[in-house]
Amino acid sequence: MARTDHAGATRSLTRAVTALALLAAAVIALAACDRGTERPAAAKSITVVIAEYSKDYTKPFWQGLAEQYTKQTGVKVDLRIVDWNSIDQQVSTMIQNNQRPDVLNLNSFSSYAKDQLLYAADEVLSPKTRDDFIGAFARGGEYQGKLYGFPILSSARAFFYNKDLFTRARLAAPPKTWDEFVQAARKIQGLGGGVIGYALPLGPEEAQAEWAIWMWNNGGDWKSGEAWTINSDKNVRTLQFLADLANRHRVTQVNPGKTNRTDGAFQLFKDGKVGMVMGFSPLAAQLDAEKKVSYGVAEMPTAVGQAVTLGVEDYLMAFKKSGNQEAVKQFLDLYYQPENITRWITAEGFLPVTKSGLSQMSANEKLRPYLDALPNARLAPTTDPAWDRVKLDVQQTIGLAVQPGGNPRQVLDQLQKNAVAAAGAR
Amino acid sequence: MVVYPVIALVRASLSRYSITGLYQGSVGAANYARLVEQEAFVPVVANTVMWVASIVAATVLVSLGIAQLLNEDFAGRRLVRWALIVPWAASVIMTSKLFVWIYDYYFGLLNHLLTSARLIAAPVDWLGNDTTVMGAMIAVGIFVSVPFTTYVVLAGLAAIPGEVYEAARVDGASAWRTYRSVTLPLLRPALLVAVVLNVIYVFNSFPIVWTLNDRNPGFAHDTMITYMYKVAFKSSLRDVGLAAALGVVNVLLILAAVLVYLRTVSWREADG
Repeated sequence: MARTDHAGATRSLTRAVTALALLAAAVIALAACDRGTERPAAAKSITVVIAEYSKDYTKPFWQGLAEQYTKQTGVKVDLRIVDWNSIDQQVSTMIQNNQRPDVLNLNSFSSYAKDQLLYAADEVLSPKTRDDFIGAFARGGEYQGKLYGFPILSSARAFFYNKDLFTRARLAAPPKTWDEFVQAARKIQGLGGGVIGYALPLGPEEAQAEWAIWMWNNGGDWKSGEAWTINSDKNVRTLQFLADLANRHRVTQVNPGKTNRTDGAFQLFKDGKVGMVMGFSPLAAQLDAEKKVSYGVAEMPTAVGQAVTLGVEDYLMAFKKSGNQEAVKQFLDLYYQPENITRWITAEGFLPVTKSGLSQMSANEKLRPYLDALPNARLAPTTDPAWDRVKLDVQQTIGLAVQPGGNPRQVLDQLQKNAVAAAGAR
Repeated sequence: MVVYPVIALVRASLSRYSITGLYQGSVGAANYARLVEQEAFVPVVANTVMWVASIVAATVLVSLGIAQLLNEDFAGRRLVRWALIVPWAASVIMTSKLFVWIYDYYFGLLNHLLTSARLIAAPVDWLGNDTTVMGAMIAVGIFVSVPFTTYVVLAGLAAIPGEVYEAARVDGASAWRTYRSVTLPLLRPALLVAVVLNVIYVFNSFPIVWTLNDRNPGFAHDTMITYMYKVAFKSSLRDVGLAAALGVVNVLLILAAVLVYLRTVSWREADG
């Protein structure tokens, strides 16, 4: 017994020593590898996260681009097309788990720049690409004087009106001033039979966009210089004006503070129930496809003389990761080749962000009202990281001000307070 | 494998994250303290209690009735039993979207029916009106919970031996008396399972409230589950750590609720 025990012990000892030796060899091998890669190895694949603008065009375009890129560079692309509803969540989760994307497309960028996660333009874009950006959009992607949010595409809002309802209400032309607008809305609402003068969507989906257009066309703004001015007297009067549309003139759909844009205001307009709504080119595309409503597109009604519209700029960002700079640069340069970026923007029905794209697309008659509006378009203050919180706060609160009994001043005071706090936060 | 997500959740709840999701260090229990300070917290807890209690109670009552009916022999019983599966098998998101249209102020079937039948004089904005939206959501919650619960009760009914009913008949008990004194007590195990599973399922339900309440600003009609999502991604807080703290509270709360329920029931059982 003792001998077998002894033999057994020897055997396990031998095995342990062998294992140890193997382990040591492995460690040495690993260490050797490590020494061999003092410079970070060039990335063999990159993760690209793109928001889904449409089911028809987004995925095919980016898949094609990724294949072209892999063929040219040998670098694989992990392409993820994510819908707008869950993209914030997915990106946040990726960053929490330290699995950052290499290239990300989103409607905000400055918080990422603030967290020092991004390459600046001069690190990953060729000078030719940088010079091609339209000035206003390049400035819209700057954080502390450097370009981090590379414009990917843009859009502009425009004022849509139902021509049949305008004819029935004996309105010759779309309203140019706020007074004319209220008159028009009352006449259309007065047609009866469930017809609505103006569809006002101040529900959480896109309230900040609807609000901004009204705010600017009354001479107000989000900020003055570096200071937030959400509760300025002008803005209080504007919000009171919107509340009056709902509760005093009664020319909106029911509960405008609780109506979203896509399945609320747009749906009603597409159904021919609404005289006026603020839309954008994708709404025009849907209306053209359905052929149910005869509509016109005009400038926003304004109380200050010069009509202002909202321009929206979305971004591409390049995340700093060891060894990925060259791969990311090549990918971005491929996207920004004029034929690629313009082909995609045209397919999706959006507006250009590059000078070359602008000159190519200006021939398109359908885009004329939006392109004409572009010089007078203003952007949301996306260059300020606090905006990412302010936007969500506006979405979750401003609708309450236009409900019966709502208090516009109180709502704006609270928004202002929160904005100042967000600006001061880490 | 089961433990890992729990550890990750607890760890996240003790951490601070930037709005981008970037980890910024540990903060101890600060997130829990901040959670209780949130203005919306108490109303949201009250909504959750209301949401779970009314759906589970109504579901069990309705299911008892339907199961009794389906336990009888009648022509087409098989068809009805199959039809009952539909709202259960359908994706809850699709069902929720369908109800958004049913409840719609302008196009909705419900307003059309009620005004045609002259039950209401003017249409109601079911999902935009603060007094009706919770009830409208609860109704959908009951609709999707009844099929499963009915099947659990049906299984319970099938397990009751025929002899006990014969004995009751011999004793001259009325139908109601038989139901109360024979059927219900013997259904107890099935009901126990139905209630526990429903409480967990309804508490954790996200799509109904998310979809039907998406037009309403603020947190007045959120449950703890949808509030958690808004805290993390859709409110100006945008705070993953705070949301994780709420997630931990949610898990503990549901465990506690189930434990208390089981304790009470078994205590009564031992007593009776």
